[in-house]
Amino acid sequence: MRLLGSLPLARELGSVARLVAGPLGGDFEEDEWGYAPGFVEAATPLLDFLHDRWWRITAVGTEHVPAAGRALLVANHAGVLPWDAVMTATTLRRAGAGGGRAPRFLVADQAFGLPWASVAIRRAGGVAASPHNALRLLHQDQLVMVFPEGARGAAKPFAERYRLQRFGRGGFVELALRTGAPIIPAAIVGSEEIYPKLGELPGVARLPVTPTFPLLGPLGAIPLPSRWRIAFGAPMDLGGLGPEAADDRGTVLEIADEVRDRLQGMVLEQLIARPGAFR
Amino acid sequence: MPATARRVLITGVSSPLGARLARRLADDPAVEHVVGVDDRRPPEDLAQRIAYVEADLPSGRLASALKLAAPQVVVHHDVVQFPEPGRTARSLHDLNVVGTLQLLAACGELPGLQALVVRGSAAIYGSEPDAPAFFTEDLAPAGPAGATRFQRDIGELERLVAAFARRRPAVACTVLRLQPVIGATLDNPIMRLFRAPVVPTFLGFDPRLQFVLDEDAIGAVAAAVHRPVRGAVNIAGAGTVSLARTLHRLGKRTLPIAAPLYGPTVAALARLGGLPPMGDDVVRYLRHGRGVDTTRMERDLGFTPSHTTAQAIDAVAAAERRREAAAA
Repeated sequence: MRLLGSLPLARELGSVARLVAGPLGGDFEEDEWGYAPGFVEAATPLLDFLHDRWWRITAVGTEHVPAAGRALLVANHAGVLPWDAVMTATTLRRAGAGGGRAPRFLVADQAFGLPWASVAIRRAGGVAASPHNALRLLHQDQLVMVFPEGARGAAKPFAERYRLQRFGRGGFVELALRTGAPIIPAAIVGSEEIYPKLGELPGVARLPVTPTFPLLGPLGAIPLPSRWRIAFGAPMDLGGLGPEAADDRGTVLEIADEVRDRLQGMVLEQLIARPGAFR
Repeated sequence: MPATARRVLITGVSSPLGARLARRLADDPAVEHVVGVDDRRPPEDLAQRIAYVEADLPSGRLASALKLAAPQVVVHHDVVQFPEPGRTARSLHDLNVVGTLQLLAACGELPGLQALVVRGSAAIYGSEPDAPAFFTEDLAPAGPAGATRFQRDIGELERLVAAFARRRPAVACTVLRLQPVIGATLDNPIMRLFRAPVVPTFLGFDPRLQFVLDEDAIGAVAAAVHRPVRGAVNIAGAGTVSLARTLHRLGKRTLPIAAPLYGPTVAALARLGGLPPMGDDVVRYLRHGRGVDTTRMERDLGFTPSHTTAQAIDAVAAAERRREAAAA
């Protein structure tokens, strides 16, 4: 043990383990959604470690995220666990953007059936992916983060990383139109390498694991240390169209395509700006 | 309440909450006459203040008594989620579905009926991991669907009430969907669980819960008698509290059990006498929880509970501590 303790890596892992165990055991005040600011505070050392040293995140355009009032962050997505949402929240906090608000993010339904993860996600600001949740949050003037690729984004193979999947029926555009919230595209690069899905393994396909899983067991759930970039685009204000436009399928799909094209462009820009996936 | 609606009939008047509701309405100067229906005799003080009709709802021998009472408002309070004295587990389906059917048939022959208030349950929404965090009234399953017997029964019950409302458009039909009711004097599975030496929880889960204090549950029904609202209305104390925090406020110890072992472990503990039987609805509630939106309650029913969910838990905790101190 003494030998191990003298190794910097082992020391680092030991302190990370303490960082993980701290917030999970605590007792925190929660709001009506189960969001616990105290939990996020307790997890801050871990989140900062992941942000600065594990994923070495560079953020650009954080000034586009409004400090007050409702807004809809629309991002690309990969993986079952919402590390991308949690790191977006961390990056906004580090940049002092968004008025100190934690974005509330919509999470694929399956994550809410997982023990521990479901509790941690909820305390960090996650809610089940339901338009009813998003509407209520926007009416409460929150910053809401959605991933319109949904399960299609989470399930895409590694070879298709950063190629945005279909944006469903454009439900997020309806939300923006109904509530008058501006859409802020957020391109996240790096999140698609943390759990690379190289093949189909029956029973494991939907678990958040790296290809090391068969060899390392549960350690395979530790995300890979890719290098990340997060870019926020200028807000798109749909207020001029009015809430009635939400019922116009054509308009909704047209706007959804526009957002998708813009987001795909931003993702490519950030990929080019990044020195390399793991460097 | 409509100016002429002064005669109120209550089913299930002998249950603890039904009796308290009847006392409250009997005290109400705007209510002229309270008629109570039940197959169990009401408490003596109440029996002297109201007209009591002994009748078993599912048997259907109610029409003549109802005609004689000629109520303007019928409160269907004999909707039961858990067994209680005089209400065995076996009789619940009959009571909730057939009893409602018979009551509605009898109500169909009342020319002066203006409003029907049904004590329903938020259990109609079930408890699911991927559910919206706050159910609005339009999100209930359309038919008798659901994971538990009571959820299906209550769905069937609401379908019957909706059909009655369509047939009798002059009658305002309200269904109150109550979140689990807690109160220091109540004896239901949730309160029995809160009084157990340890509370079994699901390892790795900490659901958001929402409660309504017993006096607010009664207040909500009384509010609907005074101001009938068409359709379903959710009833709950404001906000949600996680199970861990609920038990912390109550000073309870927990026993976290991995999900696959939960059922057998709890059953074994119940056999040993350490735990009360809970029922599927409560077990699912303890795993996934549930929240409801209360906009309609505040806006349409004009009712705001005196206690939020957190305050209701604190009120119960304080009363339980007093009770334990008195016993010691």
